[in-house]
Order: sequence, then structure tokens, then C-alpha cells
Amino acid sequence: MGLFDKLTSWLGLKKKEVNVLCLGLDNSGKTTIINQLKPSNAQAQDIVPTIGFSIEKFKSSGLSFTVFDMSGQGRYRNLWEHYYKDGHAIIYVIDSGDKLRMVVAKDELDTLLNHPDIKHRRIPILFFANKMDLRDALSAVTVSQLLCLENIKDKPWHICASDAVKGEGLQEGVEWLQDQIRAMKT
Amino acid sequence: MIKKFDKKDEESGSGSNPFQHLEKSAVLQEARIFNETPINPRKCLHILTKIIYLLNQGEHFGTTEATEAFFAMTRLFQSNDQTLRRMCYLTIKEMANISEDVIIVTSSLTKDMTGKEDVYRGPAIRALCRITDTTMLQAIERYMKQAIVDKVPSVSSSALVSSLHMVKMSFDVVKRWVNEAQEAASSDNIMVQYHALGLLYHLRKNDRLAVTKMLNKFTKSGLKSPFAYCMMIRIASKLLEETEGGHDSPLFDFIESCLRNKHEMVVYEAASAIVHMPKCTARELAPAVSVLQLFCSSPKAALRYAAVRTLNKVAMKHPSAVTACNLDLENLITDSNRSIATLAITTLLKTGSESSVDRLMKQISSFVSEISDEFKVVVVQAISALCQKYPRKHGVMMNFLSNMLRDDGGFEYKRAIVDCIISIIEDNLETKETGLAHLCEFIEDCEHTVLATKILHLLGKEGPRTPTPSKYIRFIFNRVVLESEAVRAAAISALAKFGAQNDDLLPSVLVLMQRCMMDSDDEVRDRATFYVNVLLQKQKALNAGYILNGLSVSVPGLERSLHQYTLEPSEKGFDMKTVPLATAPITEQKTEITPVATSKLPEKLSPSRQVIYQEQLAAIPEFQGLGPLFKSSEPVQLTEAETEYVVRCIKHTFANHMIFQFDCTNTLNDQLLQRVMVQMEPSEAYEVLHYVPAASLYYSQPGSCYCLVRLPEDDPTAVSCTFSCTMKYLVRDCDPNTGEPDDDGYDDEYVLEDLEVTVADHIQKVLKPNFGAAWEEVGDEFEKEETFALATVRTLEEAVNNIISFLGMQPCERSDKVPESKNSHVLFLAGVFRGGHDVLVRSRLALADGVTMQVTVRSSDENVVDVILASVG
Ligand SMILES: Nc1nc2c(ncn2[C@@H]2O[C@H](COP(=O)(O)OP(=O)(O)OP(=O)(O)O)[C@@H](O)[C@H]2O)c(=O)[nH]1
Ligand SMILES: [Mg+2]
Repeated sequence: MGLFDKLTSWLGLKKKEVNVLCLGLDNSGKTTIINQLKPSNAQAQDIVPTIGFSIEKFKSSGLSFTVFDMSGQGRYRNLWEHYYKDGHAIIYVIDSGDKLRMVVAKDELDTLLNHPDIKHRRIPILFFANKMDLRDALSAVTVSQLLCLENIKDKPWHICASDAVKGEGLQEGVEWLQDQIRAMKT
Repeated sequence: MIKKFDKKDEESGSGSNPFQHLEKSAVLQEARIFNETPINPRKCLHILTKIIYLLNQGEHFGTTEATEAFFAMTRLFQSNDQTLRRMCYLTIKEMANISEDVIIVTSSLTKDMTGKEDVYRGPAIRALCRITDTTMLQAIERYMKQAIVDKVPSVSSSALVSSLHMVKMSFDVVKRWVNEAQEAASSDNIMVQYHALGLLYHLRKNDRLAVTKMLNKFTKSGLKSPFAYCMMIRIASKLLEETEGGHDSPLFDFIESCLRNKHEMVVYEAASAIVHMPKCTARELAPAVSVLQLFCSSPKAALRYAAVRTLNKVAMKHPSAVTACNLDLENLITDSNRSIATLAITTLLKTGSESSVDRLMKQISSFVSEISDEFKVVVVQAISALCQKYPRKHGVMMNFLSNMLRDDGGFEYKRAIVDCIISIIEDNLETKETGLAHLCEFIEDCEHTVLATKILHLLGKEGPRTPTPSKYIRFIFNRVVLESEAVRAAAISALAKFGAQNDDLLPSVLVLMQRCMMDSDDEVRDRATFYVNVLLQKQKALNAGYILNGLSVSVPGLERSLHQYTLEPSEKGFDMKTVPLATAPITEQKTEITPVATSKLPEKLSPSRQVIYQEQLAAIPEFQGLGPLFKSSEPVQLTEAETEYVVRCIKHTFANHMIFQFDCTNTLNDQLLQRVMVQMEPSEAYEVLHYVPAASLYYSQPGSCYCLVRLPEDDPTAVSCTFSCTMKYLVRDCDPNTGEPDDDGYDDEYVLEDLEVTVADHIQKVLKPNFGAAWEEVGDEFEKEETFALATVRTLEEAVNNIISFLGMQPCERSDKVPESKNSHVLFLAGVFRGGHDVLVRSRLALADGVTMQVTVRSSDENVVDVILASVG
């Protein structure tokens, strides 16, 4: 029985709890996205750069999500890997207005995909091309090309454009993620 | 409260402690379940407890394993179990310094500290502040400011206390939170107010003016919190002490007014502050003592204890003030709380009359075995004090002490007893033999090396001079046979002293010592060999110099000089005279029986003040080639207190020169002084060679300038001289706020008090433990004797003190203590004169109409003898 199968049966047993890692460069909007997904009474008013990580929870269509919202600042990125083993899914957030650092985002993604704790797992990855509201924002397709997502063959992935401040595009992404997780169970 | 485990419990391992046999590696293995989902709070809690237990037992965690466990623990933030979360906070604090990357939990903690769960907020703040370093502090500053003024007291208190801890690390950042702290200081919550005040004080404590302002403000507005009052009292009394404020100061009024506070805690604090003030008069003491007296009959044991403990301390300094409470104290001697009873009795021993001593001692012996060592020490201290007061009670006391010596007890307790017996012996010659006998018995079975060696040293010093020295030999030699190296070595030295002074014992001492020349320990063997060879010479002078009176140089100084000598090899042999002498001879003369508990362990061999001066002076190019520093005087004040400039002088004596070091402080904040020097005009043939000015004297930052003087060569007896001193300098006015000085300045001068050089500046004190032997050693080649009448002196004691301070020599054989009701006395003084000549003075004093004094001086140099006699006459 492979790890993936174990995971599936285990997910079936335990009331549909999902651990999600939320990764991406600093200022890309990770915390803002997670905040939007939380029930409105639990939402934080002002969002500051994350230092280290913080654990957030939200529910969606019968699944409970526990999100490890990591800090994206350069000096903390090496701490992501401590939590790779915990993740059943990954949300990777890109600031689509930040063309300059697109290569950095790609670099970090490649490192992530090649990490021993991730490499051989069929772990679903949801990409948010965030900040689509910005005037010079790149389209989801362009972002996908710049990150060479088509090269990811052994993991299900999906990209959607989003505006975390208004909450647009987030639902579509989360639905995709739910489907993936349900699919893993069967 | 820390539970003290009984020794027996610990040994038998009765299994009362479930964490007893924890293995670190096993616990870390278990910690892997932190990675499992869902989290099992109960199990995780148990493992965290084990980790914290191990850390607190001092178990060492390597960085890698600690970091791994720490990151595993961070996952537990998923759980909303309150107990588990709080345990995580504790773990974070414990591991803050051993794990790497602990900042990983920063956002988790800031979330908790700003969240809705009040139980999380305070602990989260405290944990956060532990993992935050100076670079990260800015990131959480906003939260800290908010938390300080939070309306939940536990949050505000946590933030204030954490800020206080961070003052040490980032003073400048925390200083910016002063407004928030001010706001918190007016909180209605007693803890918040207290903590806020604490933070405010620590932010200002280096600025006396600001502290005074703060005190004024709060004493006027009044405080809710009794804790805050207690702290204010402490701050006020510290300030009073620093400023040497009188009892007319508003600070004193404040403390005094607290005696009428409605909280007992505050009343006690105020009373305690008053009785501890250095210069408290009976009148000021009275109200404080009377509140303590009230507390003595309180139903609360803690209050009775506090009161009697404080009275006990007061009784040492002001016995008469405490006498008023004698009746209340009498009621406490049967208190069921033994600690209270002990303190009450020992207080009464200090204040009561001689007739009550026997009764009290009997009472205390009925339960002395039930009290802890700490209180037994209190009893011994009381006995010490009593012995000074009532010499006639020495017999009773000695008996009591010897019984105590036989009881069980720890080191501190035994040391207190031994010290007390020794001081009785030294005070009262009649008790010498009984005392020595008790001590001999004690070392037969004594597990404390320090005490055994101390007693052996005493036996070596006193034993040979008793009527029957032979009876001590057995006790000493038993030590050589039975004990550890340090004790054996001490025993050898003691034996040697018997051999050196008692001719009839010499043959047997030599036999015993020769056996020790085969000892397995180097030190013991070396000492035996050395002493045997010295003793075999049978020369009094050798015995005196090498056995009875040891080295008088400072040991660290000797080490430095030898080291220097090996660095610059020369044809000449090493000259002992270049080594600085030991200043402040290790106390043989305990003139007053200080409370035993404060008597220090043998001093560490830190460089003496003189060695420090020597190095400072040697660093100044103008002062090269003066030879070794012979003596540095105590500082002499050349200005009145509270003047614009404060100047004090330290006189450094060399073989043929003196350096005057002027430590100057500028107390005007609108002036910068430059090129500061003190001009000196000698009254005698002293020649001023050189001035070294201080470049700049900033407001309140002390600086030093120097003057080098040559001593008159042709007249060696010209030892005293008066210098008139004037400080000269350039003034530049400056802005008191910024300290920015004007571009140009003007010359000015300031007349200082005259400076005296006296014979004492040319003599260094040296302790000769055996004065008689030293007297013989120097011999009578240059002995001179003269008789003087001291008409203005009324008592022998006064005469003795005058001579000692005038000559600046070391009294030996405790001859500085004049026995009561005697009308003659002999004073023995020893010293070394500039240039390295030993000088000894024997002064016979007789009290008639005034005091007559016959002075006999011996030295290895005739000039020195003349100098001494000339300066006395
Ligand atoms: N215009 C726009 N701004 C956004 C959007 N999403 C987030 N932001 C802003 O981007 C900034 C950074 O957002 P965060 O959520 O703190 O970013 P993060 O990825 O969590 O950053 P780190 O915690 O430092 O890794 C904030 O000022 C957000 O308001 C978006 O969709 N559009
Ligand atoms: Mg963030």
C-alpha cells in the first residue's frame, strides 16, 4: 500500500480533516486569502506580514481545513520544509503583479517540488494567480507559462486568477481542491 | 514554593516522582506523536511535561534534537485544548535559547496575544518576549504598546513584566513605551499598577532627577496598590541613602507616613526601611519599632515572624530601642512556630540583662535540636554578641557552644560556632585553653576541610604559647595520619610552629615531620622537607622569618612580578622587595564580632586596588622608571561636599617619588572643563617634577590629573610636608540640555584644601602573626627608645587609636584592643618603610594623669628608626 492509498483510507476514516500548506513569496497575499476563507466572525481586520507561521481553520462543504499559513519572506522560506510532511494539499500563491520576482517564485516552486517529502507524493497543488485586480497583472495563463506548470506531470494541479481583497476567484479554487480530496478518497 | 526533598526520600527513590527515571532519548522519541493528526492533547501534554522536567533537571539538549522537538511542538498549535496550548507557551520559553529558529512561532503567538481568549493572551505575551531579540522587537512593538494598556489586567501585567525583562536587551526601544506604562500606572488593578511602576522605575533609575519626580508625583496622587507602595518605599530609601538625605527630606516624610497606611504590608515595609537606614536616631526609630511591636502580637504568624526578625536585626545596632518590646518578645519565646521563638529569644539575648541570659539559654537549648541550621546560626550570632557584652558569661557560652559543636549540622552552622569560639578565645585569654580543647575535639571528627585547616592554623599560632604545648601535638599529628592532603599540609605547618618555639618538643616534632617527608602528596612532602631543614638550623631568625611569620607580599603581586621576571631575564636575582606588599592584611584583628553570617569565605585572589593603580600609573609615559609602587593611600577629599567641583586625592608612594592622583568631577552641567591640572606648592624641600593634566572634564564624568614629586634625597627624615593645591583649567560654557560647548573658553582656577603628606604615607602595614619572633629577628642593632607624655589624651584606648592612625602601621597580637579597667597596655606595631625596611614599634602605655608612652623602635635601617621617633616627638 503506497503512501497515497494510506492517506486516502485514513482520510475516509477521520472525519474529512485536511491539512493544507499555504506557500508563496512574501506579500503575495497568502494570509489575505486564508482570512477570506474563514467565517466572517473569525476574520482578522488588519493583516500584517507573517513571521514564522500561523495555523488557521475553515470549513467548506463538509471538509475541515487546517491551513499552515507560512511566512514568505526570504529568510523564513527554509522553514517551510519542516511542515511538508503534514500537508495533504498545497496552496501556492503568486502575486501576478510582481513580474520582477516571478523567477523567484518559480525557483521556490521547483525547490518545493523536488523536496524528498513532496517529490513522490500525488499531492494536489492549487495555484492562485493573485492580485488580478492590479492593472498590469499577468493573466493566469501567463503566470502558468512563466512557472512552467505544464511540466508538473505526477501531481494534480490547477491555477485560477484571484483577488483576495474582494474574495473573487477563491471559491473556484477551493472547490477544485475539494474535488481532488474527495477523489483521493475513492 | 519549592518542595525540599528529604535526603532519605531521594536516596530510597520511593517512586513518589513519576518522572524520576526519564531517558531523554526515549522522551524525544515519544515526542514524534506531535506530528500525528488528529492531535491527542492528553498524551501530548504528558510528553511536554516530561520535556520540561528534563530541561529543568539540567539535562543537555543538543541543538539539532532540540530544534526537531521544538518544530514538532509547533504543530500542537492546531489544537484548541487550553491546557495544551499553555504548556506549549511554557515549552517555548524553556527552549527559547536551545532550539534554532524559535521565531517560527512569532505569528502564532501574536495571534494569541491579540485574540479573543483571555487565558491565552498573557502567557502568549510572555512567551513572545522570550523568543524576540532586538532585531525582531520592532515587529511586535505595536502589539506590546497595545497590550500594556489593555483593560484585561493579566494581559497588561504580562506585557509590563515582559517589557521589564526586555529593558536589559533593548533599553531604547522599551523606553518608547513609557507613555503606555504611565497610563497603566494609574490602573485600578493593584498588580498592574505595581508592574507599571516597576517598569517606569527601571527605565529611569539611572536618572536620579527623574526618579525623584516620579516619586513626588505618585506620593502626591496616592496609589491603590500596596505592592506599589512597598516598591516606592524601597526606591525612596535607596534614594535617601544615595543622596545621604537627612530625615528632614520629603522622602523620609513619605516613608514615615506609610507607617499609617491601612495595609499591613506597607506598614511593615516602611518600618523595615526606617530601621535599616544607616544613620537613624532613636527618635526616628521609635515609631517604626512600635508598629513592629504591635505586629508581635498579631494572630498572623507571617507578621509575627517578619516583626521579630526585623527587631532581631535592629537589636544589633540599637539594642536600647528594642528594649521597649521585651515584654512582647517574652510572649513569643514559647511560640509554637520555632522560627519565631528562636528569633525572639536571640533578640532578647541581645537586649536583655545579664541576669536573664541563663534562663534564655536554657529555654533555647530545650528546642535547639528542632530548628533548622539557618536559625541555629542566628542563635550562634546572638551568643557571639552576648560574649562581647558580658565577658563574665564566657564560661556558660563556651559550654553551650561546645555542645552545639557536637550536634549534627551543616557547614555554615559549624563555621559560625568555630568563628564564635575563636573570637571568644581571642577576647578572653582565660578561655583559651578550654576553647582550644573543644576545637581539638571537634577536628577529631570534622568533615569540613576549611574548618579543619582553620583550626589547625589557630592551634599552630596559639598552642606553642600555652603552658602545656605538648598536649596539642597528638591532635595535630592525628590529622597527618587520617586526613586529606589539604588538612595534612595544614597540620605540618602547625607542627612546625611548635618545633620553632618549644625547644623540648623539637626532637619529637622533627621525628614526626620526617615521617611526612615520604607523604604521597607533593604539597605535604614539600612543606615537611622545607620545615625540617629550617628547624635543623636551630636559628631563631630563620624560624621567625620562614615558619612563624609568613610572606608579607601580595600573592597576586608576587605572581605578576615573577611572571615579569621570566619575560625579561636578567643577570640579577629576583628581588623580593620589588613585590607589592599585601594591603589590608587578612584579618587577624577582628576587633568587633561581626555577625557571623557575614564573615566571608577566604577572599579570592583578585588583584588588589594597589595592583590596579600600579598598572594605571605604569601606562602613563611620564611615570616610567619610578620602580614598583610602594603604597597608595585612601582617597583624601580636597573639596567640601556639594561644591561645583569635587576633587579627591590619592597619594601614591614610590621609593624616591610620590605621585598625586586627583580624581575630579565637574558637577556643573553648563560647563566643560579642559586642560585640568592641580598646581601644588610644597612647604618643604619636595620638588614638583611634572604635571599630567586631564584633557577634558565633561559634566558628571570623573577624570584624573596627576602630579609627580621627588622626595628630598639629602634629608631622609623629611617625611612630612604640606602642599597647597589649586585647580587650574579652561572653562567652556555649554548648553545644559545638549551639552554642546561654546567655541571659545576662558581660564579659571579653584582653590582646594591643603594636602598633607605624613609619616604614614611612607609606611606600609604588615601583619606579623608572631610579633615576638619578628622582634627577635630584626634584632636590636638599631634599637632606639624614647618616652613621651601625651597630655591631651585621656584614655589608653584613645592613645592606642591615635598612634595607630598616626604611624599607619599594623597592630599585631590584637594589641589594638585595650582590656577594660587596666591602666597600662603594650601596643605592638609592624610595618615596612619605603625602600623595603622592616620596622617594628613596641609602645608601652601607662595611664596616670594623661598617658605616658615609652616607644621602642627596631628596624633593619637606622634612618627609619630616627624618622619614626622624630615624627612622634
Ligand atoms: N490589490 C490587491 N492586494 C492584495 C491582494 N491580496 C493581498 N493583497 C495585499 O497584499 C499585501 C500582502 O498580503 P499578505 O496576505 O500579508 O501577504 P502574505 O503572502 O501573507 O505575506 P507574508 O506573510 O509576508 O508571506 C496586503 O497589503 C494585502 O492587502 C489582492 O488580491 N489584490
Ligand atoms: Mg502572511
